Amino acid sequence: MKTMTETQLKELEQDLDTIRDQVIADLGERDARYIRRIVRLHRSLEVGGRVLMPFGFIPPVFVAATAALGISKIIENMEIGHNVMHGQYDWMNDPSLHSQTYEWDTVCTGDSWRRTHNYEHHTYTNIIGKDRDYGYALLRLSDDDKWKPAHSLQFINYILLSVLFQWGVGLHELESERIRRREISVKEKIPFLKDFFRKGGRQAFKDYVFFPLITFPVAPVVLAGNIGANLIRNLWSSTVIFCGHFTQDAETFTEEECEGESKGHWYLRQLTGSSNFTGSKWVHVLSGHLSYQVEHHIFPDLPAHRYPEISEQVQAVCRKHGIPYNTGTFAKQYSTVLKRIFGYSLPDRMRNRLLPEFSSAGVQ
Amino acid sequence: MISVLEKSPTLHWLGRQLFNRDDPAAFFDPLLERINPMWVQQYIPARVSAIYNETADTKTFVLAPAKRWQGFEAGQHVNIGIDIDGIRRNRTFSLSSSPIQWRTDGTVTLTIKRLPGGLVTNWMHDHLETGAVIGLGEAFGDFHVPEPQEPALYIAGGSGITPVLSQLETMAASDYRAPVTLLYFVRTQADVIAAEKLHALTGRWPAFTLKVYATSETETPQFLSDQHLDEVPGLSARRCYLCGPKGLMDLANDLLYRRGITDDRIHSTFFSAPAANLDTDTLGGAVHFERSNLDVSSEGDAVLLEIAEAAKLSPRYGCRMGICHQCSCRKTSGTVVNRLTGKASGPGEETIQLCVSVPSGPVSIDI
Repeated sequence: MKTMTETQLKELEQDLDTIRDQVIADLGERDARYIRRIVRLHRSLEVGGRVLMPFGFIPPVFVAATAALGISKIIENMEIGHNVMHGQYDWMNDPSLHSQTYEWDTVCTGDSWRRTHNYEHHTYTNIIGKDRDYGYALLRLSDDDKWKPAHSLQFINYILLSVLFQWGVGLHELESERIRRREISVKEKIPFLKDFFRKGGRQAFKDYVFFPLITFPVAPVVLAGNIGANLIRNLWSSTVIFCGHFTQDAETFTEEECEGESKGHWYLRQLTGSSNFTGSKWVHVLSGHLSYQVEHHIFPDLPAHRYPEISEQVQAVCRKHGIPYNTGTFAKQYSTVLKRIFGYSLPDRMRNRLLPEFSSAGVQ
Repeated sequence: MISVLEKSPTLHWLGRQLFNRDDPAAFFDPLLERINPMWVQQYIPARVSAIYNETADTKTFVLAPAKRWQGFEAGQHVNIGIDIDGIRRNRTFSLSSSPIQWRTDGTVTLTIKRLPGGLVTNWMHDHLETGAVIGLGEAFGDFHVPEPQEPALYIAGGSGITPVLSQLETMAASDYRAPVTLLYFVRTQADVIAAEKLHALTGRWPAFTLKVYATSETETPQFLSDQHLDEVPGLSARRCYLCGPKGLMDLANDLLYRRGITDDRIHSTFFSAPAANLDTDTLGGAVHFERSNLDVSSEGDAVLLEIAEAAKLSPRYGCRMGICHQCSCRKTSGTVVNRLTGKASGPGEETIQLCVSVPSGPVSIDI
């Protein structure tokens, strides 16, 4: 990580706080209208998708219904659920958009997400050993894990994780790797598992039992469409999230460098540990504006649709302090993610030869 | 139609599974609101059907609540919710109309005075128009008409007349024969709210005596005094109802108390949160916000809602005066003192209202 003196970090903190304060002072009607319009779009797509699905025996209708339901889930998870649970709209005082009570359309419970994502991931971003989102305790994505032969198959794990992403996220708090290492017992996780089964059961019941059953004669069509919609959402959200922290230049940190860190240091870590990708307005909406991962990580509780508006200012602050601002096209960023997953599945020497951009001095 | 989702336990259970929310009927609100705002389920919608001026700074808003609103008793209050610049503002007001009117034509009225610097009252005066839809809560409050009939004395000040109007209308219509006197304190005669209605009442209801006192029309202000009370016949046998600004209420309480009228015969309803005399030495302490994993200290001069907001948290809130319970949340440990009553809570886990709870020693809050 770039080293900065405490004075420089203090200045960075002030520069970023200024941007944040400007947005907060300006929050109002425009933001409320934006999120309500997105919620309305979600409801229209979900109702439309569910109503069309039974007519999915007509192929083009099947495609339309599955796409509508898939996109509705994407919008609900990414632009509404994730952002609302960050408290981005708490200031509206609308009980339906309140961070502490919002429950989203995915397996992971809102409470579990608020603990593992809002607290753990956003506080300890990319600190190896503390940010369990780094590789999800499933993938080796840096030298901090020693290579083992099992890692050579991790690309399969990655594909499985993406396909079943909502279940993976739902089980994240189980900390299965720590249970395997006998650091914690399954017993301690019983309350979590109860919630997991309740919410997971609810989600499975809805998409795989209830809606197929009430449309009985065409149940297989509805079931297939609902599975398709969940798959679309799983693949897209997994991809967006992987692009946020696992691109080539996204940095990782050690616990020692972050001990007792200042707010300025936290800002620096968020800026260098996150990565953006470019795209059209709708790409940003469908990614919940996590395409502006850098802006999101420095200001997780500002309404996400503001990120594009402040991006220029954030880049200017980065230039001023000589901090890299990691962005690129979606294709470019995602290809480096795939290379990282592949590269770290290889023994270090082979990786250093095949993918020199991921070679690290410490290993050679 | 959609409200069946809330009424039938089976459908409510199903709705919770399908829509991931405890108020499943509200899932469709964003769409319904576009078709007809009166179909919204998250709150009870009420349409503004008329607005008229009472005085230069007081208006009466006639509201037609959705059918599922459960009605009220004379003297009760409601919370209303209005979105102003993207923020839902909840405020508590007394209903100024009688339940008879609601049963007859399905409308209720709120009589609202502009509060200097008041965000919601001024917005309502300046921007709320006929045809608009606002949120309305169920009625609450224990300011009730005496039952069975007994002599009554009302002491009201300024816009504190509103719940009294509702009660007087109700009593007049119910053949109330015990004597009822209203001492109504206003700044000037021009500030009398619902003057026409009050005079009509004196005309058709023989048991009713109306006395209006202008406090600021003479050189020395005329506040409530023993002299005024001397003019009320049979005072000691009367049940007393007070509603108005804090100064008037304190004075009235004091004067009545000195005449031997006991607390249980004096009923008050408040406009602004009265602060009990708290012993600030024992107040304050470390506050731990559990879900946010945040620790702050407090001095005993602030309630938990303010402490949380100062710590950049934004818990849900409503009236900010201990009435509406929007801000209720779990206290997992520690003692808090209720600013309204001065009473201390237990030390264990319980639900508290953030807006009136002052920490007394270290507390943990589940937000």
